[in-house]
Amino acid sequence: MTTLLTNPLRVGLRQERVITPQCIVIFGASGDLTHRKLVPALFELFRQRRLPSEFAVLGCARRPWSDEEFRSKMGEALANEIADHPSAWEQFSQGLFYEPVDLQQADHLVRLGQRLEGIDRLRATRGNRTFYLSVSPEFYGSGCRALAAAGLLADAERSRVVIEKPFGRDYGSAQQLNKVVQACAKESQVFRIDHYLGKETVQNILVMRFANTIFEPIWNRNYIANVQITAAETVGVEDRAGYYESSGALRDMVQNHLTQILALTAMEPPGRFDAEAIRNEKAKVLQAARLANEDEPWKCCVRGQYSSGGSRARPLSGYRQEPGVNANSTTETYVAMKLFINNWRWQGVPFYLRTGKRLPKRLSEVVLTFRQAPVHLFDAAGGAPTPNQLILRIQPDEGAEIKFEVKAPGSGMRSRPVDMGFSYDDSFGEPSDEGYVRLLADAMLGDPTLYTRSDEVEAAWRLYTPLLELIEESPWQLPVHPYEARTWGPAAADSLLGDDGLGWRRP
Amino acid sequence: MSTQLTLQAPLDVPPAEVYPYLDRLWNHGLEGTTGAATFTLLIWEPSWLEQQMVRIGRIEGPIRGLERDDLIEAARLITADCDLPFSTAPMDPRLAWKVGQLEGQLEAQDLRGQFIPNAISVHTPRRLITLVPTLDASQSLETMVAAYCPLPDEGGAGAACGDAIVLRGGMEALRQGLPLIQPLIDEALPCWVWWNSSLDEPPEMLEALAPLPRRLVIDTSLGQPARCLDVLVERIEAGQAVNDLNWLRLRSWRESLAMVFDPPSRRDALAHVVQLDIDVEGDHPVKGLLLTAWMADRLGWHLIDSSPAEEPGGINAEFQRTDGTTVRFRQMPVPVGLPKAHPGAIVGLRLICEPADRPALCVILCSESGGCMRLESGGMAAMELVEEVVPLPEENEEMEMARLLGGGHDTTNPLLASAAPLAATILPR
Ligand SMILES: NC(=O)c1ccc[n+]([C@@H]2O[C@H](COP(=O)([O-])OP(=O)(O)OC[C@H]3O[C@@H](n4cnc5c(N)ncnc54)[C@H](OP(=O)(O)O)[C@@H]3O)[C@@H](O)[C@H]2O)c1
Repeated sequence: MTTLLTNPLRVGLRQERVITPQCIVIFGASGDLTHRKLVPALFELFRQRRLPSEFAVLGCARRPWSDEEFRSKMGEALANEIADHPSAWEQFSQGLFYEPVDLQQADHLVRLGQRLEGIDRLRATRGNRTFYLSVSPEFYGSGCRALAAAGLLADAERSRVVIEKPFGRDYGSAQQLNKVVQACAKESQVFRIDHYLGKETVQNILVMRFANTIFEPIWNRNYIANVQITAAETVGVEDRAGYYESSGALRDMVQNHLTQILALTAMEPPGRFDAEAIRNEKAKVLQAARLANEDEPWKCCVRGQYSSGGSRARPLSGYRQEPGVNANSTTETYVAMKLFINNWRWQGVPFYLRTGKRLPKRLSEVVLTFRQAPVHLFDAAGGAPTPNQLILRIQPDEGAEIKFEVKAPGSGMRSRPVDMGFSYDDSFGEPSDEGYVRLLADAMLGDPTLYTRSDEVEAAWRLYTPLLELIEESPWQLPVHPYEARTWGPAAADSLLGDDGLGWRRP
Repeated sequence: MSTQLTLQAPLDVPPAEVYPYLDRLWNHGLEGTTGAATFTLLIWEPSWLEQQMVRIGRIEGPIRGLERDDLIEAARLITADCDLPFSTAPMDPRLAWKVGQLEGQLEAQDLRGQFIPNAISVHTPRRLITLVPTLDASQSLETMVAAYCPLPDEGGAGAACGDAIVLRGGMEALRQGLPLIQPLIDEALPCWVWWNSSLDEPPEMLEALAPLPRRLVIDTSLGQPARCLDVLVERIEAGQAVNDLNWLRLRSWRESLAMVFDPPSRRDALAHVVQLDIDVEGDHPVKGLLLTAWMADRLGWHLIDSSPAEEPGGINAEFQRTDGTTVRFRQMPVPVGLPKAHPGAIVGLRLICEPADRPALCVILCSESGGCMRLESGGMAAMELVEEVVPLPEENEEMEMARLLGGGHDTTNPLLASAAPLAATILPR
C-alpha cells in the first residue's frame, strides 16, 4: 500500500463490536508466532480501544519464564511499535502474565486453572477464556485433551480454543483430529484458523457477490467459461525448510488458502449472514468439488520445484540447494490443478488453481472469465474480441477490475478491451488491519464466521486425497518438474490449460 | 426488546437488614453457586415522565423504568396539551415537568429495578442497585432485595449468580439511604453508575453515587446545556471514565462524515474547510457542539470566538485552521414535526472546503428522517457536491448500556475527552 495522509476523522471509529472481558491464554508463548503476530495483533487491538480494561494475556510454554521476563521479551519484539506508543505499552503490558505449562503434564493444567481463577479476580475477566494453541501441530489433539481434562473447556459459552494451521496432514488425520477435538469441546468452541480468511479482500468476495445484484445473475455456468485462482509468491522456502519439506505447496497453500477462496467464489448465497449459514454453504460447495479427473489424477495436476535462477547480480539458488532441504527432495514448490464443481451452478466450468514459490510476482487473485459473445459483429483489435473478465485482486493492489470491449476511437467499428477498476487504495486509502487482528478479535468475540468448520476442513482434504495418495504411492506419476526461479512455473502447467484451448492470465 | 424479570420475587427487607440479609443469602442460601465476578451496576432511575404519565392515565402501569415505545408515543401526543413546541423531544425534562402540572391521581405498581433487560442480563451483573425516587417526596425508604441466577445456558458450568437491590422512596428518604450503598459495592469489581435522568437533578446525589473510580454513564442531551457540558468536563478532568450516551449516538454521523473523506483524493479538502453549518432539532445544542468540537479537534482548529446568533437558540463561532485561515461555524435549531426521543438530535450538516487549485467541495449530510433543505440552498452551484443520508441507529438506551457493560474501559474515550472541553467553550454563556 502507498503511504497516504490518514483520514483524521476515521480515527477511533473501528469499534463496532465490543470484546467482552476475558483472558487469552497463548500456548507456545515463547515461540515465533506469538511475538511476531499474536502479541502485536493484541497490542493493535488495545490501541484501537477494542480491548476492554478487564483483559489479560497469559503466556504459557515449558520454559520457566516469569511475568516480567515475558513482558520484557514481548517488549523487545515490539520495540518499534512501542517507541511510537510508549504509554499504551505501559498500560497494555500490565495485562501480560506468564505461567510455565507443559501441555503434556496434567498437573500443570490444574495449576493453570488456579492461575486463571487468580487472574479472573485480579483483572475481573469474568471467567471468559480463549485458549490459543500456537504450538507444534502434534500437540493440537493432546492439548485439547489436556484442557478438557482439567475442566477448562467445560463452559461452552465462556471458553473457546483456537487451533493454528495445519489442521491434519490428509483426510484421515484431519478426521482423527476432529474426533479428538470434538470429544473435548463443542464445535462452537473450536476456531480453526485460516489466515487467508483474515484478509479484507478475501472477505470482500462475499460482499461483492451478495451485496450487489449485478454479479449474482451471471455468476454461473451459463455465463462463466472458467475460473482461475492464483497465489504466487516471490520468496523461496526461507528458513522454513524443516516444515516445508514434509508439507509442500499442496498442503501448505492449496488445501487451505486456495480452497477457501474457491469456496467463497463458488458457494451459493447463504440465507443470512451468520457463521453457520455461511459455513454450511462453503462446506456444501467443497463437498461438490472434484478433481477434473479423479481416476487419473496425474492428468489434472502439475507439480513443480524451483531450480536456480535470478540474475547474475542476484542469483537465486534452487530449492534443493536451500539450507535444510534434502538434495534429492521431491517436495513440490509449485502446484497447478484443474477442478470441477458438480452442481447446478457450476457443472462443466473448469476451476484452475495454482500456487508457487519463486514466481516472478507476489500476487493472489481470482479471475472469472466469461463466455464469448454469441456472435461477433465487430472487428476486434486483437483478432477475436477478448472475453470479459472479472478480476478480484486479493493482494497486492487490492481491488477489483472488469475487462470489457468498447468501440476503438476512429471511423470504423472496431472493438478493443478496456478496464474498469476499483482500488482499495483509491477508495479507502488506509491499510487494512493485519489478518491476525481481525481473526483474533473474532475468536475473542466468539464469532466463527471466518474460521473453518470441521466438515469444511475434511471436505477440503478429501478433495485432494487422490493427489496425496498418488504422491505417496506412485510419485513418478506426478513428477516434480523443475522451473527456473522467477518464472511462471513449469511448461507442463501451461499445457494443463493449453489442452483446453486456454492460457493462464499473465498478471 | 424482551425483558427479564428477576427470577425470585424481590423481598422487602428493612434498610438496616439489607447487608446482613445478603450476607446470609450468599453464605447459606446460594451455596454451591458462585457470585459472578463481573461488575456492579448502580442506576439512578427516577423515570419522572413515566411516573407522571401513569399518574394522569396516559399510559398504563406498572412503572418499569425502561425506555418503552408506548411512553415515547404518548409523550409525542401530549406535547401540544402542554403548550410546548412540536419539536420538543419526548425525553426533554421540561416535558416531564409540564406533565407534572396536569391533574390525575392514578396509582400503579412500581417495578423499577426489577426488570433486567436481556441485553444487560447476558453480561450477568454481579449486583444491580437501583435508586428509584417516587413522585411523593415525603415517602419513606423501602428496600427490596432479590437474588437471581440466569438460567445456565446449555453447557454452561455452575451458574454465576447476582443480586438486585432496589432503594425506593422520596428524595429525602433516598438521601438518608445513601450510606447503605457503599458497603454493597465490591471494590474489586468494576462499578458502573448509570445516571439515567436529567443532569439538572440534585448534584449532591450524583456526587454521592458516582465518585472515582466508578465509571459514569450520563446523557448530555438531558438537562441545561451548560450544566451538561460542565459535568462532562469536570468528570473527565478528574480522570473518571465517563460515557456519554449523547456522544455515542453521534457514531453514525461521525462514520458518515469519515466515509466521505476516505478516498485519498478527497483527504486534502479537509485541510481547507472554510465553513461548517449544523442544524439540530429543538433548542438543545450539546450534541451538535460535540460533533463540531470533535471535528475541530481532529482537524486542529483553534476556537477564536463564539456568540449567540440573532435567531434564538442559534450559535455562531469562528475557528482558526492550522494555516491561519478562518472557519465560520453556525449551528441552528430547526423545527421538526416528529422529533427524536432525545433533545438536540442532528438534522443536517454542511461542510464547505475550498482547496487552493481545485473546485470547492460541499459536503451535505442529512438525517434519514428529516430533510436538510435549509442547508441545500444557496450559492453552491460551482462546487463539487457530496450528499449522503445518515442512517438512524436502531438501538435504544439499554442496548447502548449493554455495549458499554459488555466490555468497558476505565478511562474516557480520548476523542470524547478532547471534544468535551472544546464543546463547553463554544457554548456561549
Ligand atoms: N510462525 C508462523 O509464521 C506460523 C504461520 C502459520 C502457522 N503457524 C503455526 O503456529 C504454531 C506455532 O508456530 P511457531 O512458529 O510459533 O512455533 P515455534 O516457534 O516452534 O514455537 C513452539 C512453541 O511451543 C512451545 N512448546 C513446545 N512444547 C510444548 C509443550 N509440551 N507444552 C507447552 N508448550 C510447548 C515452545 O516453547 P517451550 O520450548 O518453552 O515449551 C514454543 O513456545 C505451529 O503450529 C505452526 O504450524 C506458524
